[in-house]
Amino acid sequence: MPAKRIIPCLDVKQGRVVKGVQFKDLRDLGHPVDLARRYNAGGADEIVFLDIAASLENRGTRESWVREVARELSIPFTVGGGVSHVEEARSLLRAGADKVAVNTAAALRPALVSELADAFGRQCVVAAVDVKRDPDLEWRVFLKGGTEPTDRSALDWLWELNDLGAGEILLTSMDRDGTGEGFDVQLLDLASQLPIPLIASGGAGREIHFLEALEHGADAVLAATLFHEGILPIPRLKAYLAQNGLSIRI
Amino acid sequence: MRSSGEITLIDYGAGNLASLEGALDRLGLPCRRAATPDQAALRGPIVLPGVGHFESAQKSLRERGWWLALPEFVAEGRPVLGICLGLQLLAEGSEEAPRASGLGLIPGIVRRLGPGVKVPHMGWSQVRQHHAHPALPDPHGGWLYFVHSYALEPSVETIYTADHGRPFAAIEARGNVMGFQPHPEKSGPAGLLLLQSALAWMGASVPAQAVPCN
Repeated sequence: MPAKRIIPCLDVKQGRVVKGVQFKDLRDLGHPVDLARRYNAGGADEIVFLDIAASLENRGTRESWVREVARELSIPFTVGGGVSHVEEARSLLRAGADKVAVNTAAALRPALVSELADAFGRQCVVAAVDVKRDPDLEWRVFLKGGTEPTDRSALDWLWELNDLGAGEILLTSMDRDGTGEGFDVQLLDLASQLPIPLIASGGAGREIHFLEALEHGADAVLAATLFHEGILPIPRLKAYLAQNGLSIRI
Repeated sequence: MRSSGEITLIDYGAGNLASLEGALDRLGLPCRRAATPDQAALRGPIVLPGVGHFESAQKSLRERGWWLALPEFVAEGRPVLGICLGLQLLAEGSEEAPRASGLGLIPGIVRRLGPGVKVPHMGWSQVRQHHAHPALPDPHGGWLYFVHSYALEPSVETIYTADHGRPFAAIEARGNVMGFQPHPEKSGPAGLLLLQSALAWMGASVPAQAVPCN
């Protein structure tokens, strides 16, 4: 079994890492390369960059920071945000990203996932899924940054993504996101039955939450604020997880 | 010690070279991309990177003349390093493409990982050293980054193994041919050290001043 991975997530807007609440009141945290370098040195196992304002116009900007990040980092990184066709993914991978994440575009046109897997291998394809507990569907899939509900049940969609060729699932519980109350472990129990790696996101507040998520089947855990604000430094988290018997790269 | 030279990165459209170039750059090792064998540096190690499908990689290497040229380079004593799919292509064949052959520069067959484990094997795994090798540091249970669904079966000569459901060959070395299943350029400081030691042994020239690699 590979080590459980700790992944900081960075939101990028127009080539700058930003932080805000619900994409509002954005604060500039710096250039992607500077943050990448800091996390590279600080024990992150991987980094996810989400371009929160991806558009046709800023594709060039994105490729240029992706290229710079690739030259600096000696750990893998994923880039997502508005990727909706193979050529766009190709340019990101060529610029040096290891994986691309797709979300809304895959839900609107599921064949995108198989096209990406065929073109680059499924190890390059991260399917990001935002879900919320729901009386009818158990967990419902939401699109467009969690603003638009769909008729899909999360578990059905996850299995479909696996069949389509996704190499990894990045699963965010919208109920828990930003609460700091812990991951939705019941969701993780079910989603970790998939034969592909699962990244848990949404709800991390304390060290024990990461332990719970990883003990409930997640292969990796993702968080943003806790790491960015220095509330929980990654080396401290990793030491805690290793002390609790998990396989962790230290 | 081998005669030193610039590192040649085989550019055949399989996967990104940017990260590898970045890593070599940070190590101060000059390199050049070569789409065809005539673009290779006159001396120094040849690196065969690669992600993707065995058969499509084999096809691209054939089209660009590398498939025939690589065994000739090896016969002339040029050091060759295969990384990830590059290692698999150096083997005799792969279950991923049962009707295609490998370069046969490293004995053994590449087989699919699993069952009973998640595939692709994606993430950090610990490697174990089975033999000492002048080019390769003792990893001391170090962690390296892997992304693959197929792996070379280990043999008595395998230098490092890793486990994913079963042991597999993580690093192979046969004379002037070496293969890494993990991505050293993605494996943090441990990976950079490995890359540096292997390439130095293979005769990569270390300039007084680092030259950007493009």
